[in-house]
Amino acid sequence: MTRRQFIPLVGIAATASYASVKLQKPPKLSDGPAGNSAVAIIRARSYSEDLVTRMLEGVRQTGLDVRRKRVLLKPNLVEFESSTVINTDATIIAAAVELFHRLGASDVRIGEGPGHRRDTLDLADDARYRSTIPKFESIFTDLNRDDVSPVKGFADEPEFYFPNTVLGADLIVSLAKMKTHHWAGATLSMKNLFGLVPGAIYGWPKNKLHYIGIPRSVVELSRHFRNTYAIVDGVVGMEGNGPIQGTPKATGVLVMGHDLVAVDSTCCRIMGIDPEKVEYLRMAADLGHVHPGRIEQRGETIASVRTNFALIEEFKGLRLA
Amino acid sequence: MGDLYLEARLDFLRKTQNADGGWGYFWGKQSWLEPTTYAMLALHGTTGSDAPLDRSWNLVRSWQTAEGSSRPSGQVRGGTWVTAHVVTLASVRGVYDDSVRRSVDWMLSVVGAEHTVLMRAASFMHLLKTKLDVSHEGWPWREGNAAWIEPTAHTLVALKKVSGRYRSGELEHRVQEGEALVLSRRCSDGGWNCGNPNVLDFDLPSYPETTGLALLGIQGRSATELNGPLDVARRFRDETKSSLAKAWLTIALRCHGRNPSAPAGDEKVPGDIMLAALQALGHPEGNYGLLRTGDHA
Repeated sequence: MTRRQFIPLVGIAATASYASVKLQKPPKLSDGPAGNSAVAIIRARSYSEDLVTRMLEGVRQTGLDVRRKRVLLKPNLVEFESSTVINTDATIIAAAVELFHRLGASDVRIGEGPGHRRDTLDLADDARYRSTIPKFESIFTDLNRDDVSPVKGFADEPEFYFPNTVLGADLIVSLAKMKTHHWAGATLSMKNLFGLVPGAIYGWPKNKLHYIGIPRSVVELSRHFRNTYAIVDGVVGMEGNGPIQGTPKATGVLVMGHDLVAVDSTCCRIMGIDPEKVEYLRMAADLGHVHPGRIEQRGETIASVRTNFALIEEFKGLRLA
Repeated sequence: MGDLYLEARLDFLRKTQNADGGWGYFWGKQSWLEPTTYAMLALHGTTGSDAPLDRSWNLVRSWQTAEGSSRPSGQVRGGTWVTAHVVTLASVRGVYDDSVRRSVDWMLSVVGAEHTVLMRAASFMHLLKTKLDVSHEGWPWREGNAAWIEPTAHTLVALKKVSGRYRSGELEHRVQEGEALVLSRRCSDGGWNCGNPNVLDFDLPSYPETTGLALLGIQGRSATELNGPLDVARRFRDETKSSLAKAWLTIALRCHGRNPSAPAGDEKVPGDIMLAALQALGHPEGNYGLLRTGDHA
C-alpha cells in the first residue's frame, strides 16, 4: 500500500479521506448543465469603497430578482485572529444587507454556524460584525443552534437535519471569503455552505461531513441548495495555510454570480489555481460550469486581476499554468 | 452582589423553561438536551425546582433510543454525544436503573473512528497528515466519527460519576483511555484545540473553551499533569473575551479547587440559555460541584 493510498484513511480533522491531487489521470470533465453562466468580477480595492454600489453593479451584470423574497446571507465566520483575515469582512455583510433591502427582499437575515467555535456571538463581536452591521443581533441566527427539520436525499443519508432558518429562505447568498484551504485546496462559495450544517447535531467541527468526504459534502450541499447566489469577498483574501493560519492577500475584487461552481472556478483562476484540478469542482461539474468557455466573464477580466495565491506543499500541483 | 448574579440567571432559567419541561438554546425555541442539561444542573436543589425538574427529567428520559443513546432533541432521530449528559444527570438525581445502564453500555460501545488497526498502522508508519496519537479510545460527537475533546470530556465526567455502579473494569479502562487521549492532544501552547494539536506539520492554537472542557475531563490526574494546564486555563480566563469560554474555564477551575474571582453582580444576563446556565453553575455559590469527579483516577 502506497503512502497516497494510505492518506485517505487518516480520519480526523480529517478528512483525510481526501486528497485533491490525484495520481491517476482524472476522468474527462462533465460538460455541465445547458447554457452558459455569467460571473461578474467587480473591482473593490478596499473595504472603505462604496461596496453597495459595487455589488449593485455585480447584480446588474449577472441578473438577480429578490423582490418579496426571504434572503439568508451566509458569511464565512470561522475564527478570529487579529493578525490575519479569516472571515468575510463585516463591511461586505453590511453592504449586502443594504443591497438586498434595496433590491426589494421581504426579509434579510444573516446566518452562520462556525465549524470549530461554539461562541458564535462573541466571535461575531471580534470580527466587528456587531459593531458594523446595523441591528446585527436582531437579524442574526446561530445556525449551529437553530431549530431544525429533517430533509431526505442529502448525500444518501436517510435523514439529514438543517436549520429551519436555512430551509425557510427563498435565496441563500454565500458571502464567502477567497481563501486557500489545507484540505480542499480552496474555500469559496461552495465550501462556505458547510456552515449551514447544525453543530448541535453534527458537532464542532461537523465531523459527519468529513466522513461523507469533504469534496462530496461540498458538492452535495451545493446540489441540495439550488436557491443560491454567491458574492465572494476577494478584497483581501487569504493565501498559504488557509483557511485559518494563512496570510492576507490583497486581490481587490468581488466575484458574483448564480452558478456557484462557475463563481468558484473563476475565483480559482484569479488565485492562480486550476479549478479543473480541484476535486470538489470536478465533482460538481454537472451542477455548474468549470470550463472557461462556458463562463461568461463580466466586469473585469481574470487576467487583469489574477494574483497567484501561495499554496502549501500539498497543493502545489494545483497551480494554474 | 454575587447572589444577585446567580439569582438573575436562575430566575431567567425558571422563566424560559418550555411547556414540555425542557429548554431551547434560546427562549421560545425547541427544547434541546444540551441546554436542558445545564439548566437542570444549575437549578438542581434550588427552592421550588423539584416539580419543574421532574418534568425536565421525564422529557430527557423520553429521548432515549432503543440502543441506549439519547437524541439531542425531540425533532432528531438517533443518539449522539449528549447521552453523556443524561448519565451525568442521572447520577446527580441518584438514578441508577436499567435505562441508565443502557446509556452506559452505549457509551462504552462507542469509540472514535480513528482508533482502528489500519489507522494505528498508518500512524506507526508516519503516514498520517496530522501528528495524532490514535492509540487511545475517546468519544466522537456521533457514532462512526472521530473522537474530539468536547464529547470525550463530557463522557469522562459522566462515566466517572457512575463509576463503581456499572461494568467497573471496562468503565475504568475507558476512563483511563479517554484521559490518555485528552492528554495526548494537548497543544504546544499548553491548552487544547477542539481536536488535533497539529495538522500538516502546522501547530494549532488551543482554544479557551476546549481547554476548560479538557480540564473537566481529566479531573483527578496528578499535579504534574495538571498544574501547567491549570495555569494556562487561569490565563485564558483572565484574557478571553468569550463569555462561553470564561464560563467553562470558571467551572473547570472551581472543580479543580482553584477559586477564580466572582463575577460582578450587575453583569447582564445573556439571552443564550446555555450560557446563562453555565454562568450560574460556575458561580461561587453555584452547582459547579455537580460536575466534580475528584480524584476518581
